[in-house]
Amino acid sequence: MMNDELIRRHFRCIGEGGDMQAYDELYRLLCGRLIRFSAAITGSFHLAEEIVSDVFIMIWQKREQLAAVENPLVYLYVCTRNRSLNTLQQHRKHQHTSLDSLDTDALAMSPDQEQSMISAEVAQRIEAAIRSLPARCQLIFRLVKQDGLKYREVAELLNISSKTVDAQLTIAVKKVAEAIRLNMPSELAWSFLFR
Amino acid sequence: MMHDQIWTLLARRMANELLPEEEEELERLLQQHPDASYIKEVMMQPWNDRQKPFGPEEADQALERHKLRLESAMVAEEEPEAPSSGRKVRRMVFQLTGVAAALVFAFFIGRKWFAAPKPVAEEARLQLVTQKGSRSHIKLPDGTSVWLNAGSKLDYPKQFTGRKREVTLEGEAFFTVVKDENRPFMVRTKAFAVRVLGTEFNVRVYPQEDIAVASLVTGSVEVVLDEKQNRVVRLRPNEKLSISTLEQLVTTTTAKETVALRQPVKSRLTEVRDSVIAETAWVENKLAFKKMPLEKVVALMEQWYGADIRFKNENKKQLSFTAVFDKENLIDALKALELTGTFHFMQDADGVIWIE
Repeated sequence: MMNDELIRRHFRCIGEGGDMQAYDELYRLLCGRLIRFSAAITGSFHLAEEIVSDVFIMIWQKREQLAAVENPLVYLYVCTRNRSLNTLQQHRKHQHTSLDSLDTDALAMSPDQEQSMISAEVAQRIEAAIRSLPARCQLIFRLVKQDGLKYREVAELLNISSKTVDAQLTIAVKKVAEAIRLNMPSELAWSFLFR
Repeated sequence: MMHDQIWTLLARRMANELLPEEEEELERLLQQHPDASYIKEVMMQPWNDRQKPFGPEEADQALERHKLRLESAMVAEEEPEAPSSGRKVRRMVFQLTGVAAALVFAFFIGRKWFAAPKPVAEEARLQLVTQKGSRSHIKLPDGTSVWLNAGSKLDYPKQFTGRKREVTLEGEAFFTVVKDENRPFMVRTKAFAVRVLGTEFNVRVYPQEDIAVASLVTGSVEVVLDEKQNRVVRLRPNEKLSISTLEQLVTTTTAKETVALRQPVKSRLTEVRDSVIAETAWVENKLAFKKMPLEKVVALMEQWYGADIRFKNENKKQLSFTAVFDKENLIDALKALELTGTFHFMQDADGVIWIE
């Protein structure tokens, strides 16, 4: 889904040579998922784009220190998370902000109907099933399914254990499975019954 | 009711986290539960985002908006630093009028010099690049400070090793070189090389300009026109040396003749007004020029603001202007020039500015 090695290479080129082309590529590659991640926290795609832009400005300004970053992808997500929470804190003043209250609209997704050969009704049912999950579970599902993060990367980003990521994903997949099985084509159900 | 184990394994498969020994177990479970195979297919497919799908086109547009923000951030970043360096430049300029310590020179050396082997080839090199409309500041490993003007490129080693400190420049930069008598500092350009021990000077060698300029503010420098023939010009305070780079186009003359044609001309720095020197004003974030034809002013502004300015009326190119711009944006600067009543400008839908 995502080329971790490519991201590392871009990071190296930016850090060592001030390579603007690698910088642009890195932005193009990651802006979509980082903006969505930030939008889930802040509840605004507009604000999220500014936050991610600020993160990348910081990357350019501190490019000489990038060599010290161990995992560029997680680093970018962590920077985006921190800036998003800080921004939210400033907007809401005294309210406590955390990753527990998320705007899950930004996270919503569903299988591609054509590719999966499913009806619009099933696609909708799957989307609804995902939406019925706790916000944090939805976020974990997206970070793995759409953004291609590893278990330990999600764990690091959300300050939870890899075991929790594993357990939360099991819940999400089970939920999707239930939504699909309710609509199982009769021949499949048939073969299941007579096995 | 199926055991949750199959969903755990399916989730791990989806995430590429399935261990080799788990593969078999998943296969076994999938054979027992054919409906789960279908669920696996759905899980492995790429899914669609319901809100604001973000394709390559959206990414390009976001990148464009981001680059605008980056550029203004880079300029803003330099402003907190500007006061100290501004004071420095003003102090230097004071010395300039009092002690007479500034000069500008411009030269050109052909491919012969440029082809000379680089002694630092094996060192790890770094590069600082500025886009049009943005400037940058950097401290080199030896403590030497460099301001890099818009649309420029500076090559420097990660560490200065050996008996020389060498950097390569394309475009314009202002150097404050830390003194080290044992290791001369050398700025190489396509036009010439500048050799110094410890001093403050400016080098301007944009490939698109027909004159290469270097300005010394304090101390002394040697300008190396031809390393092999030891053609070196020593510049003293308040001198300016200019040489056209156009001879490069004369392909029929031999290298020797070409060098002979390129006679450097010494003159003084351009003081636009009290304590503003055109050649070094950019370090203070000022755009300054004196009695300059509009054609050249426009080229300066394009570089400075990262704009696209064109002439509808070619006759206007010869108009002459003197000005110092500080905080003004492009439009304000153009409006100030327009106030002379000698030309008009307008911006079209593409952002191109037309002068008529």
